[in-house]
Amino acid sequence: MNYEMFDAKKIIGEVTAAEADLNPGIVVVSTDSAPRTGMGEFIAKYPDRYYEVGIMEQAGAGVSAGLATTSKTPVFCAPAPFTTARPFEMFKIDIGYMRQNVKVIGRNCGFNYSDLGPTHFGLEDMALVRLIPGVVILAPMDASQLRGAMRAMLRCEGPVYLRIGTAPIPKIFDDGDFEIGKGFVVREGSDVAIITTGEISRNVFEAAEKLAAEGINVMVVAMPTVSPIDEELVIRAARQTGRIITVEEHFVVGGLGSAVCEVCAESSPVPVKRLGVPMEFLSAGQYTDLVKHCKLDADGIAETVKAFINNP
Amino acid sequence: MDELKKFALEIRIETLNMLSKHGFGHVGGSLSIADALAVLYGKHMKYDPKNPKWEGRDYLVLSKGHCGPALYSTLAIKGFFPREELLTINKLGTRLPSHTDKNLTPGIDMTTGALGQGVSCALGMALGLKLQGKKNIVYSIIGDGEAQEGQVWETMLIAPNKGLSNFIVILDNNRQQLDGFTDDISSLGDVCRKAEAFGWFAVDVDGHDLAAIDQAIEECKRSEKPGFINLKTIKGKGWPAKEAVLGNHALRGAAFEGVDEVLADLRRQLEAMQ
Repeated sequence: MNYEMFDAKKIIGEVTAAEADLNPGIVVVSTDSAPRTGMGEFIAKYPDRYYEVGIMEQAGAGVSAGLATTSKTPVFCAPAPFTTARPFEMFKIDIGYMRQNVKVIGRNCGFNYSDLGPTHFGLEDMALVRLIPGVVILAPMDASQLRGAMRAMLRCEGPVYLRIGTAPIPKIFDDGDFEIGKGFVVREGSDVAIITTGEISRNVFEAAEKLAAEGINVMVVAMPTVSPIDEELVIRAARQTGRIITVEEHFVVGGLGSAVCEVCAESSPVPVKRLGVPMEFLSAGQYTDLVKHCKLDADGIAETVKAFINNP
Repeated sequence: MDELKKFALEIRIETLNMLSKHGFGHVGGSLSIADALAVLYGKHMKYDPKNPKWEGRDYLVLSKGHCGPALYSTLAIKGFFPREELLTINKLGTRLPSHTDKNLTPGIDMTTGALGQGVSCALGMALGLKLQGKKNIVYSIIGDGEAQEGQVWETMLIAPNKGLSNFIVILDNNRQQLDGFTDDISSLGDVCRKAEAFGWFAVDVDGHDLAAIDQAIEECKRSEKPGFINLKTIKGKGWPAKEAVLGNHALRGAAFEGVDEVLADLRRQLEAMQ
């Protein structure tokens, strides 16, 4: 499928700068990483509202919480492992426990830092943040959703974690409001439901088309908010199809797959196959090779669906 | 200074009373910061006990959050909440947990307890206030054991780079931590010179000399640089048998033996000054 492609970083920067025009409380905290998160426009426009603290993510998280205490809305951005795993305790206490109005962006999530290897992969970020009560997790799937999610994040009250890659991002959906906590059905179906999140979703949509051509009727559910998950929609998918596959660019433990399993186990038990990154450390590699290795490309997803249907 | 001396005595009395009645608590470090708290809340800080969120207030982040009892005593004496409430410490549903908690206690602006993190949050507050053009000062008290945390030195690096003249860090350098004497574990060395090298205005002070603490805070306020006060203190100060001895970090049960005599003596000292 040919989509119009956008620069995710540019969208992040544009929305932050535009929202900063409306909300003088918005400030940006960087740990040697804001310009590469697209904040150039914001920095040029509001240099006094931009805090570059240097390479120190623990302090960066704490400083953000302190700024929020003085009624600011800090956007703390850095590569995903460095806003989640590195300062986890500060995220938990300074931001989560105190319910500070801090917006954390984990960029280059998943395999986006393909050349940089396991130190820079963001494959456990959602698992970690899901453990912090009350923190919203957003994983927009396309350019329109990223724009909407950024806006919704900056306008809501309370801690939010937004994960995003920085590769060119397709525009798949129409522009519109992004409702935190709501998923939606992309395609109705009855044989199996695929629930997916983040930018890897485009491969799911492609796989669903391939499967349809083979007579397999797949329901596709988009879940751009991973926490709190849209339980009602998960239950509906379970009841409608009787089996679910989750697809995410994240470890199979702790992220979307786990969240879906938790809902199903308690409310509507059906077989669930979690397709994601297996629990192993992978080497550096080209992005497409890593995705293919984990069967997260359209062919791999289609193959997994067929195997699951035949042997659930 | 007499008023401050009385205030410091009262902080020690309330702290020992609440902790001994509860039967557990961080006595050593609470007693070592009592004098600094008396000077801060008795002379330097602006606050309104009836309106703890008053915008014109100065802020104190007790980064060594386990010494909350000393700060709770200070706040109760100043009327942020009734003194009787001190006896609810660590009882289910209390507003006074061991470690200071923004979500629970009037007058507490930051949750602390995980060492090293409070002082970074305090720096963020100083940044936010500066951006608003406000003159409020943010104080943060850290421990010498706490200063072994790398995050403390992240904050030490940021503050001078951001020109935070509204930020004063007070090191309660009682030379002891849970496992023993700081110098035997991982010494801070000449910490004042270290702070100066990072770009702070730094002073060494006898942490139990009220006039000297007062003067040091005054000098920090006047400085264009962020201020760093190395309070040379004695862990357990005010309870002679517990001063600078091993095992005085936190006391439990029988370890409080003798506290009644200490409290009686402290109360006699207070009465003599009335």
